[in-house]
Parts: sequence; C-alpha cells; structure tokens
Amino acid sequence: MSAFLTYLLNGLAVGCAIALIASGLVVIHRVTGVVNFAQGTFAVVAGLCVSSLLGLGLPHGVSELAAVAVAALAGLLAGVAAVGRRGTTPLSSLIVTLGVGVLAYAVEIVLWGDQPRSAPGLAGSLSLAGARIQTQHLLVIAVTAATFALLALFFGRTYLGKALTACASNPYAARVVGIDVRRMGLLAFALGGLLGGLAGVLVTPLRPISFDTDVTLIVNGFAAAVFGALTRPVVTLVGALLLGVAETMAAGYGYGSHQLEVALGLMIVVMIVQASRRSALSQEVT
Amino acid sequence: MIGRVAVLAVAAVTLALPAVLDDSSLAVYVLLGLAAMVTVGVSLLMGYAGQVSLGQGAFYAIGAYTAALLALGGAPPLVGLVAAPVAAAVSAMVIGTPLLRLRGHHLAFATLAVQLILLSVTGQLEFTGGDIGLQGIPQFGVGSWEASGAAAYAYLTWAGLALVILVTRNVIASRPGRALRALATSETAAASSGIPVGRYKLVVFTLSAAFAGLAGGIYCFYTGYVAPGSFPVLISIQYIVMAVVGGLGTVWGALVGAGAITLLVQGLDSLATLPGMPSYAPSVLSYAVYAVVLIGMVLFMPQGLVPAVSSRLSGKKRREPSYR
Repeated sequence: MSAFLTYLLNGLAVGCAIALIASGLVVIHRVTGVVNFAQGTFAVVAGLCVSSLLGLGLPHGVSELAAVAVAALAGLLAGVAAVGRRGTTPLSSLIVTLGVGVLAYAVEIVLWGDQPRSAPGLAGSLSLAGARIQTQHLLVIAVTAATFALLALFFGRTYLGKALTACASNPYAARVVGIDVRRMGLLAFALGGLLGGLAGVLVTPLRPISFDTDVTLIVNGFAAAVFGALTRPVVTLVGALLLGVAETMAAGYGYGSHQLEVALGLMIVVMIVQASRRSALSQEVT
Repeated sequence: MIGRVAVLAVAAVTLALPAVLDDSSLAVYVLLGLAAMVTVGVSLLMGYAGQVSLGQGAFYAIGAYTAALLALGGAPPLVGLVAAPVAAAVSAMVIGTPLLRLRGHHLAFATLAVQLILLSVTGQLEFTGGDIGLQGIPQFGVGSWEASGAAAYAYLTWAGLALVILVTRNVIASRPGRALRALATSETAAASSGIPVGRYKLVVFTLSAAFAGLAGGIYCFYTGYVAPGSFPVLISIQYIVMAVVGGLGTVWGALVGAGAITLLVQGLDSLATLPGMPSYAPSVLSYAVYAVVLIGMVLFMPQGLVPAVSSRLSGKKRREPSYR
C-alpha cells in the first residue's frame, strides 16, 4: 500500500512537470494556432542554464529565475521565427519550430557539450502516511499548482490575458477591435518559453538533461495537451497527471521498459478518437 | 524536348560517375541516392496528400531490418531486397488505416510517435538484436554474382532510384495523380467531387513507405549492419528538410534537395574534421545547416528551389510578347 502511495505521489510530480510543458503548448496553440515543436527545447535550455549557473556559484533562486528568463527569451526568439512573418500557415510554422529545435541542438552542444547534466535541487524527503516522497517532488507539485492558478487569473482577470484569449477565439475580430494579433502571438511564445523553462528548472534535479531530451519532453507534453484538444488547460492538467501516474505505475510495477510505448500509444488512441468526432471541414485551413 | 534531353543527360552522367569516383565519394553517392529515394516519397506525401510525416525513418528502418533478418536467415539477398519495400508498404497500410484519420500536426506527432515506439521496441526485442542491432549481413548478390565493391552498390542505388522516379512520374501523370492534386488543396472539395479521399491518402502513404523501405533494404546490404541508432528521429527531419528545400510535390525537387543537402553536409563535414576543429564540430555544423536551411526555405522560398528557379526561367522567356 505504501509503495502504491509512493508511486502515486511520484507520478503526480512527473505529471505536473509534463503539465507545465503541455500548458506552454496550449498557450501558444490557443493564441497562434501553431503547435510548437520547440517546446521541449525551452525546458532543456533552462535546465542546462541552471546547472551552469549553479556551477558558477550563484545561489538557488537567482539561478532558477535567470534560467527561466533565458527560456522565455528563447521562446520569444522561436516566436519571431515561427509567427513573426505575416502569412505563415500553422503547418509551415510547425516546420519552422522543428528547425528552431534542431538549431537549438547546435547551440546547446557548443555551449554545454553533448553529455547529460544535472543540478542539485531540494534535498531530503518526507514521510507521508508511510510513503516516502522527495522534497523536490513536492516542490514540483506546489509550483505547478501555483502556476495554473496564476494562469487562470491571468487569462480570466487581466486585460492582456483577455486580449490573448480574444486572439485565440477569433483573430479577425480581435484585429478589428485594435489588438495586435502578431504581438500577442509573440507574447504567447514568450509565455510558452517561460512555462517550458519552469518545467526544465524543476525537472533537472530529478533526472539529468541532455540536448536531445527535448523529444521525450515534447512528446509527453503533446500527449497531455491532446487530452484537452490543445485548447483546454484544465483538461490538459488532468491528462498530464494521468499520464504521469500511468508511466510511474508502469515503471514501478516492473514494466519500466515499456513506459514510452504506454504514453505514445495512449496519445495516438486519444487523437484518433477525437478526430473521429470532428468533421474534416472544420479542420481545413482556408 | 529540352526536358527529355536533360533527363537523359543527367541519367547518363550519374550512371557513368561510379566508374570514376573513389571509394569515399562512392559512399556519398550511395547515401545521396538512398536519401533521394526516401525524399521522393516524402515530397509526394507532403506535396500531393498535403500531410507531414515525421516518422519516415520508421519505414526506412522496417525495410532495413526486413532485408537484414531475411539475409541472415539464409534467404537469397534478392528476396530480402524485394521483401523490404513490401514489408514497409504493408506496415504503412496497417498503421496508416487508423492514423490517416488524423491530419496536420496531429498526424505529424502520431508518425513521430510510431517511429519512437518502433525504435524502442527494436531496442528491446531479442530477434532484432536489441540496441546492438544485427551484424554480419551478407553482401548483396544475385545467383553466383556478388556485389563486392562500393561501385556495385552505387549502380544498385541508381537502379532503385530510377525505379522510384519512374513509378512516381507515372502516378503523378495518372488519373489518381490529378485526384491527389485536388486533395492537397481541399479535402472537402475533393471528397464532394467523388474522390475517395481516405483511400488515395492511404495509397500515397503506402507508396512513400515502400520507397523508404527499398532504400532501407539497399542500406542494410551496403553497410552490413543495422541498429536502432542508425535511424534516429533526426533522419526523418532530414528528409523533410530535403523535400522542402527542393520543392514539394516535384520529383526533381526531391532529387535536387537530397543532393544539395547531402553535398552541403558532406562538405561541411570534411571542413569540420580538419585538424584544430573541436570534436563536436561535425554534429554542430550539420544540425545548424539543417535548421538554418529549413527555417530559411519555409519562410523565404516556400515553393522550394526547383519551382522557384523554373518559374524564373519561364518568366524570362515570357518577356517576349505573349497572349495568354
């Protein structure tokens, strides 16, 4: 029973990290209609940054914030490439973000080499009803909860958040009332970079990160975002938690080598079920 | 007329090349030809069916593993080479039936997922040799003749590519080809004019997989070993870069794209392995080239090299008064 509880709590923490990546995907997709393949890259950049900054002797807190800021900047740059030019279709933008991800490989290898890097996080662990849980896992869960609450406030209560939502629901109408859709797209990319960076900073102490970790991160994030049809943050959070718990349970009960297949298979099934509910006409780019 | 002469000239020159090239250039020749075979399929899929596959490397791997397993099991190499595209096509048909209900970024991620699953599974299975892969694959041969040198594989690649081009040209020129072009612009419109959209998309997907499988079959005989590490996700991205660079939906675009990227990466590779360069230089340069070329082409020359150049050429001709 305590093993089950341990797996459950660890799984929730893993799911929270996935949820942060997925939330970045959702924010960007809602506003620009683009699926950002470079979303995992932001996490990798932030993770590598934080390992370097801590290595330089900067204190905790400062290093993490700086790394998240770097990831947000990377997000902005990716946005400039993907949606900065008028008339880029969403599928072209997807291919551009693919290019951004590969470009990031080159930069990351030059700066950090191709070996995995790690960073110290919160040490120690707690006992909770007989289950041991690392403090870092609790931190991941707490930060994710706070982030989703802040995102809900931001999109629901602030002018800027509502402008972003307006771009999402009808870009033409948003332009008519004087919202700069392109600037909002760039803002969404920066926000996506920030969320990705947050995930990277939180995950790096748990498992080492190397330049090509981004594929695993983005695929997991996309799988979670697909639950919410790439638009609904709360469903995405639920999907990510389910995914995290399912993967951790699979690993914990001895199917560790099939973790990836479980996640990917689930994603494909969800997508096919969703696709059968939509008509072809509603998805066509005009 | 000029086009036909040009095709014959290109065919003759490329057929004559293996006789004069040295072994290291022959390696580039073979890899270029194999990449071109896969890229023709990707270009067909992206340009005509309007779908992005991020998992074309999976079919390349299926072809390579099929040929390798058959050859190691004692079957004649020719059987392995024929079985490679067939196995890839059959698996594409099986995978594609549910998967092609998806479109756009959903399909892109689903095909990527298929490749990741395949790599993970082949890395764990006993009979595929796990992460180490299969080694000691016999040389390709027919009857008592055995392909011993790199030049023989160059001719084999040439023949395979010629077959791929021939099939593609005929498909494009046929009635289904016109239907595919209609499908690429609007699925709904195509379906309402009576085109069986789903079936045609599956056919293109299967065909592009067969091309990749054939290339994989030749690859496994050429290198003599296959492992999951030979087919990373990046290889699938590389084919997309080549297809986009050359121009989607054109056979010659795929060839030019594959040629340009392969030669560019090889050139930079020899530059990066010069003494004094850091050890990471080759991989960094090739990543950077793929990325910069891909982003630059999609943003600034989305129609690709071949259509851009040919429209400029025909634009010059059109300066003479014409009444269109």
